[in-house]
Amino acid sequence: MKEKGLFKLDRSMYPELAVATLLFITDIALTLAMPYFSTHKAYYTSEAYITILVVTYVLYIANLFATKKKSASDIAVILFAFFALWEVSYKIGWIHNDLLVPSPEGLFHVFLEKPDEIVADIVGSVKLLFWGFVLAILLGTLLGLLAGWVDRVREVLLPISNVVTLIPPLMFSAYFVMVLPSFRSAAIAVIFMAVFWPTFQGMVTRVGQIDRRIIDTAKTMGVGTVGMLFKVIFPYCLPEIIGSISRTLRGAFMCLSGAEMLGMNLGIGYFTEKYKSFADYRCVLAGIVSVGVITTIIDLAVKKLNNTVIKWK
Amino acid sequence: MSDTEKKTKININNVSFEYVDKKSKYEALKDISLEIKEGEFVCLLGSSGCGKSTLLSLLNGMNKATKGEIRVDGKLVSGPGIDRAVVFQHYSLFPWLTAKGNVLFGIKQNGKNYSKKQRLELADSYLESVGLSYAKDKYPAQLSGGMQQRVAVARALALESDILLFDEPFGAIDPKLRLELQELVSRLSVEKKKTVVFVTHDIDEAILLADRIVVMEPGKIRTIVDVDIPHPRKRDDLVGKKKYEELHKKLITSFYNHVEENIYEEVFL
Repeated sequence: MKEKGLFKLDRSMYPELAVATLLFITDIALTLAMPYFSTHKAYYTSEAYITILVVTYVLYIANLFATKKKSASDIAVILFAFFALWEVSYKIGWIHNDLLVPSPEGLFHVFLEKPDEIVADIVGSVKLLFWGFVLAILLGTLLGLLAGWVDRVREVLLPISNVVTLIPPLMFSAYFVMVLPSFRSAAIAVIFMAVFWPTFQGMVTRVGQIDRRIIDTAKTMGVGTVGMLFKVIFPYCLPEIIGSISRTLRGAFMCLSGAEMLGMNLGIGYFTEKYKSFADYRCVLAGIVSVGVITTIIDLAVKKLNNTVIKWK
Repeated sequence: MSDTEKKTKININNVSFEYVDKKSKYEALKDISLEIKEGEFVCLLGSSGCGKSTLLSLLNGMNKATKGEIRVDGKLVSGPGIDRAVVFQHYSLFPWLTAKGNVLFGIKQNGKNYSKKQRLELADSYLESVGLSYAKDKYPAQLSGGMQQRVAVARALALESDILLFDEPFGAIDPKLRLELQELVSRLSVEKKKTVVFVTHDIDEAILLADRIVVMEPGKIRTIVDVDIPHPRKRDDLVGKKKYEELHKKLITSFYNHVEENIYEEVFL
């Protein structure tokens, strides 16, 4: 196939692009025209929803031109069709309970009503996540490296970690909240428990599975213990360490949200839990959507990190 | 300088080695003695399982002799050391480093305090000596097997040791490239005045490279054959020459005699 420039698109891509665009326009037309048909009392203006639609469309177009794949259009078609179906079924009255199932306008309107609160909660969550995560990854990798290489350290730490990893980290949170001085430190401790032990165990396994021939070669080159750990084994394992980050991150976020719902007074988990008690399910849904967005952004950042650091694979 | 005046570089004294398993013991080497002179190129030739690679692993220090001792420059070998650079059959380049990075790793390990500028220049010159200047910024995964082995040779040279140990280095490389690499190693070892121990099961390779060929049979040295052909040798020049044919015949006879014995043992035991 001929190599196409960045802004050129193969003709065969056009039909899907047309369908996605048509559905996008339909969504916008629906939200602008349908208020008058609505059978519900609750009414929210369309600007937040339209913004979301436009952002989605722009991301789709960018993705389509970057990847040149029809699947990009398929995703957009499914997404915009879903929005159209949601809008129509809400407005013509198929959805009866607008308390439980809001309109798309209603859902995204939350971000206009409580921007400060949502941003503060997201920033709070991400900060906790960051500290707990960085601490756990650093210590877990370091200790795993040592335990993987030194038999005696491994024989002590591995049985301990085998027991501790079996306990769901979230179970510690109830206790940590009571024992530790602040909610913040408790949340960080929970994230630490969720990330440290899997990281440690993964690292021990990786060091055990390292290609013996690489080690032998390094030994014949006179590499000592410290050099072996940090100049040979660590870089050798680096791709897998970064690869495991997005997996452990997901676990960490799960624990954090859980911990926040159980007893914190900050964070997106707390936000969701709070509005659940107020029976404001629009906000609950908005909280869920926010978590999806943040985790996706973090995931993409990790992939980006992987591509910039790991050039040799 | 005649051979008798040359200093002994490596001294292998009555060395035995046993592989010890949970249930069984296997004596891979039985009471081996060998003296290697400075600047000499010695090939250990034998079929698989004869202990030639085991002997090399004792020389490079990855294994320790069960009996006897090995001395380099009079000093007892007690483990791996940068006075003996090794090239394995598996190239084992560090995958996270470029070709140049791998060579630089060797330079940093050689214990001489070069400045950064010197190190970079040296790395370039070592890569040039193996003919890989154009690929210095490539990662091992982007290089062919032959190119990777060239980098491994450059990395071994970068250790700047007097001794080079090769463990069937070209066994996994296709014949045309193998010849190129053999000639490269032959040329470099003379140029850089290295003492070389080279393990192989390829008779032609041994004749092309060695000053002395040590033919091994399981656990023991069967015979030692001197190769009295001046360096640099070219494969094309050697083939057809009387001296070469004689040597080849001699080696084949000693090589296959024991292979036949092996087959005999396998059939009748």
